[in-house]
Amino acid sequence: MNGNKNAPIFALNNIRKSFADVPVLEDISLSVEQGNVVSIIGPSGSGKSTLLRCGTFLETADGGDILYDGEYAMKDGVYVDKAALRKFRSRFGLVFQNFKLFPHYSVLKNIAEPPMLQGVSREEAEDRAMGLLRKMGLEGREKAYPSQLSGGQQQRVAIARALAMNPEILFFDEPTSALDPELTGEVLKVIRQLADEHMTMVVVTHEMPFAKAVSNRVIFMAGGVIVEQGDPISVFENPQEERTRQFLRVFEH
Amino acid sequence: MSFIAMVLKMSEGLGRTCAIFFLTLLFSLPLGMCIALLRMSKNRVIAGVTRFVISVLRGTPLMLQLLAVTYGPYYLFGFNVSRNKLIPVVIAFAINYAAYFAEIYRGGIESISKGQYEAAEVLGYTRLQTFMRIILPQVMKRIMPSVTNEVVTLVKDTSMAFTVSYQEMFTIGKQIANSQTSFLPFVVAGVFYFVFNAIVDYVMGRIEKRLDYYD
Repeated sequence: MNGNKNAPIFALNNIRKSFADVPVLEDISLSVEQGNVVSIIGPSGSGKSTLLRCGTFLETADGGDILYDGEYAMKDGVYVDKAALRKFRSRFGLVFQNFKLFPHYSVLKNIAEPPMLQGVSREEAEDRAMGLLRKMGLEGREKAYPSQLSGGQQQRVAIARALAMNPEILFFDEPTSALDPELTGEVLKVIRQLADEHMTMVVVTHEMPFAKAVSNRVIFMAGGVIVEQGDPISVFENPQEERTRQFLRVFEH
Repeated sequence: MSFIAMVLKMSEGLGRTCAIFFLTLLFSLPLGMCIALLRMSKNRVIAGVTRFVISVLRGTPLMLQLLAVTYGPYYLFGFNVSRNKLIPVVIAFAINYAAYFAEIYRGGIESISKGQYEAAEVLGYTRLQTFMRIILPQVMKRIMPSVTNEVVTLVKDTSMAFTVSYQEMFTIGKQIANSQTSFLPFVVAGVFYFVFNAIVDYVMGRIEKRLDYYD
C-alpha cells in the first residue's frame, strides 16, 4: 500500500459540500505531511467537522479530490468503488467527540475486535490492545465496560481503538468538547504524547493553547472556507485576516 | 367425570399447546426480523407494502387469521382442509406474531444511535458485521421487556386454536365444559396458563439478566 513516497499522507483538493443547497464547504484544499500535526480551528458551524467527515467518507463530498498517500479515493467528485474505499479506510483512524465506544463490549474487546476482523490473530490483537492501554494510562481497565469509565478514560480507549488499526493518520473531531476541563487535560496529554512520537494527526479543536503548542500548522476556518493557515505562531500571534483576529479575540482573557 | 379425570384429559392437550407455543416462537422470532428489515428498506415500495401487511396482521383478529389460514385454501382453491391442524395453526400464529415482533425489532434497531454505525464503519466493519456484532446485541437487550410481553400473551393466545377445533388443552377443556355443563374446566385451564406463564416469566427473567451485563 505504499503510494508515492513524496506525496502527503492526506490531501484534499477543492472539496465542495452542500446540505440541501446550503454550502458548508467551499473549495477546501489542504495537505498533511508525514509526521505533522495540523489543527483546524474556527467558530461552530464553520464546516470543520464536515471537513473531517468528508475526509473519512462519513459524508459524501459533492466535488473535489481526496487523496491518501497520493492515491485518489475521490477524483473530481467521483469516488473509487466500495471495495477500494474499504482499503482506504484502513489507512486512517477517527476519534469522535462522543467517543462512540461499543457499550456491550469490554474495553479490551472494543480495541481488539476491529483488527481481528481484518485477520489479525486474537493473541496479537489482544497483546497490541494491552500495550495501547498501558500507553493510555489505562492499565488494569481492560475488563471494564465503557459505562464504568469516566469520559476522559472512554476517550482514551477510543484513541487506543483507533491506534490498534495501525493507521497512517489519525483524525480527531473535537476530542475534548464533551469533557469537563479536568478530563480534557488527560486526553490532551495523550494526544501530545502521540505528537511527540510523530504520529500524523489532524485535530479539530477549540483548545487554543493546545493547538498552538502541538501543531505544525494551524488552519482557521469560517463560513465553509479556509480563511487563513500557517504555522501556529503566525496564525495565533500575527493573524493576517480580520476574521481570524475577531475569532481569536474571544479567547483572550 | 371426576376432577382427576378431567385434569388428566386436559393435560393430554398440553403437548399440543406447547407445540403451538414453541413452534410459533421458533418461526416468528426470525420471521419478525425479516419483516422488520423489509419495513426499514430504503426502497419505498418494499417498505410501504410491508407496512401495509403489518397493519393488516395487527389490525385484524388472530381468530379470523386462524380461520382464514385453516379454511381459506378450501374455499378459495378447493384444497382439502389439512388433517393435521397444527400446520395451519402454527402458520397463522407465526405470521401474526412475526408482525408484532417486527415492530418491536424496528423500534429497537431505530433506537441505536447513528454513531455506532459510523464508529463501526471507520473501523472497517462490513454492514453485516456491524449489524450482527454491534447493533443486534444492543437491540436484544433493549427489546427484552417488550418481547417478554408478547411471549406471555402467546401462552394465553394458544387457546384461540379452539376456533379451528385443534385439540389443544383449552379446546379439550371447552368440550368437557359443554358436555358436563361445568365451569370447572375453565378454572383448570386458568391454572394451567398461570403456571405456564410463571415458568415463562422465570426463563425470560433469566435471559434478561444475562443480557444485562453492561449499562
